[in-house]
Amino acid sequence: MKKDINTVAAIKLLISRLVVYGILIFLTFLCLFFFYLMFINASRSNAQLQAGFTMIPGGNTIKNFVNAWHDTNISIPVGMKNSFIVASLSAVLTSYFSALTAYGTYVYDFKYKKAVHLFILAIMMIPSQVSAVGFIQLAFKYHLTNKLWMLIIPSIAAPSVYFYMRQYLEATLPLEMVEAARIDGSNEFRIFNEIVLPIMKPAIAVQMIFSFVGSWNNYFMPSLLLNDLQKKTVPVMIATLRSADFTKFDMGKVYMLMVMAILPVMIIYVILSKSIIKGVTSGSVKG
Amino acid sequence: MAEVLLKNIKKIYTDNESRKKGRGKFRQQPKEGEEEKKVSLQITDEGVVAVQEFNLDIKDKEFIVLVGPSGCGKSTTLRMIAGLEEITSGELYIDGNLVNNVEPKDRDIAMVFQSYALYPHMTVYDNMAYSLKIKHVDKAEIDRKVREAAEILDITQYLDRKPKALSGGQRQRVAIGRAIVRNPKVLLMDEPLSNLDAKLRNQMRSEIIKLRKKINTTFVYVTHDQIEAMTLGDRIVVMKDGYIQQIGTPQEVFDHPANLFVSGFIGTPQMNYFDAELVIREGSYYVETKGISVKLAEDKQLRLKENDVKAQPVTLGVRPEHLTIAEEGINGQVEVSELMGSSLHLHMTVDGKDVICIVPTEGRKVNYDGKQLKLAFTGDVAHVFSREDQHNLEY
Repeated sequence: MKKDINTVAAIKLLISRLVVYGILIFLTFLCLFFFYLMFINASRSNAQLQAGFTMIPGGNTIKNFVNAWHDTNISIPVGMKNSFIVASLSAVLTSYFSALTAYGTYVYDFKYKKAVHLFILAIMMIPSQVSAVGFIQLAFKYHLTNKLWMLIIPSIAAPSVYFYMRQYLEATLPLEMVEAARIDGSNEFRIFNEIVLPIMKPAIAVQMIFSFVGSWNNYFMPSLLLNDLQKKTVPVMIATLRSADFTKFDMGKVYMLMVMAILPVMIIYVILSKSIIKGVTSGSVKG
Repeated sequence: MAEVLLKNIKKIYTDNESRKKGRGKFRQQPKEGEEEKKVSLQITDEGVVAVQEFNLDIKDKEFIVLVGPSGCGKSTTLRMIAGLEEITSGELYIDGNLVNNVEPKDRDIAMVFQSYALYPHMTVYDNMAYSLKIKHVDKAEIDRKVREAAEILDITQYLDRKPKALSGGQRQRVAIGRAIVRNPKVLLMDEPLSNLDAKLRNQMRSEIIKLRKKINTTFVYVTHDQIEAMTLGDRIVVMKDGYIQQIGTPQEVFDHPANLFVSGFIGTPQMNYFDAELVIREGSYYVETKGISVKLAEDKQLRLKENDVKAQPVTLGVRPEHLTIAEEGINGQVEVSELMGSSLHLHMTVDGKDVICIVPTEGRKVNYDGKQLKLAFTGDVAHVFSREDQHNLEY
C-alpha cells in the first residue's frame, strides 16, 4: 500500500516535470529559433534565400561579409562607431542621471516632491512619436541634424528608468546608511557617488543594458535626424541597404549586416549580466 | 570628550515630516502596543509633538541612557543631538558651542545605528576608515587608528571581509569601530543591541562597559530595554510621550521612582499596585490596604511631611521582590509559579488584580500552586503615588 502511494507520487512528479519542461523548451525555441535562422541566412546567397528556407547553413558566409563590408552605400565601421558612441553614452548618462534623480526624490524632503514625482511619471505616458514632431522641427530650425549628441542628450531624461531606479532605492537603500555617511562627514554628492551608486550597481547594469540595446536598435529618431553617411547608425544603414537598387538587392548581405549589428549587443549583455545576478546589498543591514 | 547641554529642546513634526517618519520601514517592526503609544503623542495644529521641554546637562565623559517605550521621543532626541533632525525650538550646546544649525559632519559626533548601516560594498577596514579618508587624514595614521580600534573590538581578523560575511555581533562591533575610530566628542548609540539575540546582547552589553573604560568620551545611549539602561548608564533619563519623566542614577530611579510610569517601567517583573489609603495617625503616615496597615519608614515620613501631604486615597506600589509571605497580610491566591532557578516567581490574584511575588527557593522545592497566601511588606519599600496625577507623593 505504502509503495503504491510512492509510485503514484513519482509518476505525478514525472508528469508535472514533463509539462513544465515541455513549456520551457517551447519558449526557449521561440526565443532562439529566429537567431538561428538569422545566422543560417547570413551564410546563404541571395539565390538560395529566394528558393526558400532551410535549416542547413550555406557556404556564402565570407562572400556575404565581404559584400557587406565593401558596399558603397554604407560604411560598417563608421556605422558601428556611431552606434556605439550613441548607445554607450546614452546608456551611461541615462542610468547615472536617472539614479541621481531617483535618489533626490527618495532621500530628500522638499515641497511638491510628490508632484515632481508624478510629473516625471506622467511624461512616461506620452509616446515618443508625439514629441518627435516638435523635436524634429526644432532640430531642423536650428540646423542640429546630423549631430550625434542630438540623439544622446534627449535620451538622458528617461522617466521609466527613473521609476525603476526609484523602486530599487526604496527596496534596497536604508536611509540610515545615508545618515551614517553624513555623520562620517561625507557631503551629499559624495554620498551618492561613493555609497549609493555602488549599492545601485545591479539596477544600473539592468538599465544600462536596456538603454544600450534600445539605443542601438533605435531606428525611428536616427532615421529622421541623420542623413549624412558619416553620421548614420547601423539600423539606418541596414534600412539604406534594403531600400537600395532593387536589381542589386542581396538578402544574404542584409542578413550578414544584421548579424554584425546584434553581436555588440550580445557582448554587452554578457559583460553586464554578471552584476545583475550578483546582489550587493546583502549584509549592510540586518536582513 | 565634551559636555552636551540641551536647553528646552522641542521637536514638532509638521504634517509633511510625520508622514515621512511613518515611512521608516527600515526600523524594527513595531512591537506590541506601539501603535497606541504613538497615538498618545500630542497632535497639535502645528503637527505631531515628539519631544517637549527637554532639559538635560550631560557632563563630560558621562554615560547617559535615554530610555522609554517605543515612540516616546528618545530616538528623536538622539537624532537631534546628531543633527539628523532639525530642532524645532530650544538650544543644543556641544562643548559650549551652540550647534542647532551645524551640519552633522561638523559636530564631531559619531553614531551607531540600530541596523548597523554599514556600507555593504566596502570591506570592514574601508568602512572604518571612511570618515578618516574624508578628512584627508594621512594614510599611515588611518591605518594605525583603524587597527587600534579593531584591536579594542577584537575584529582585527575580519578587516578584509565585507559586512555580509560577518555575523550580527561582528557587524555591530564594526559599526562601533566605525564610530570610535575618529575619537568623537560624543558617541551616540541608537538601540545598538536590539537586533542581537539575547545571549549576544548580554555579551555586547558587558563589551560596551569595557569599551567605555578604554575610550574616554561622552556617551548618549538610547534603548527601550530597562536592563540595558540600569546596567550601562551613569544617569538614566526616563521618557514618555515626549516628556522627561525622571533623570537620575539607576539606583535613584529604581529606589525613588518619580511617578507611577517610572516605577512600572524600571524593574522586572513590574511593580505591583494596590488601591490604598494614606492615613495620618499620631503624626505618622500609614498606608492601609486590604485590611493591613503599614507605617512608612522614617525617611519617607520626613519627605511626606515636608511636602505637607494630606491623608488621601493613593496607589500603593511594592516591587515583587519586596513582598514576603507572612502570617498576616494581603490575601492572595497563587495562579502560576515560575521557577527561575534561585527564586520562584509567584503570579497571584489579589481581589481580581494580578500581583507578582518573588520568593527565594533556597534549594527547597515547595509547591505553591493554587495556594492561598498572605503577603506582607515593610514601610521602607512602599511607594505611594497620587491618584490624581500619579506622581510620587514623596517628591
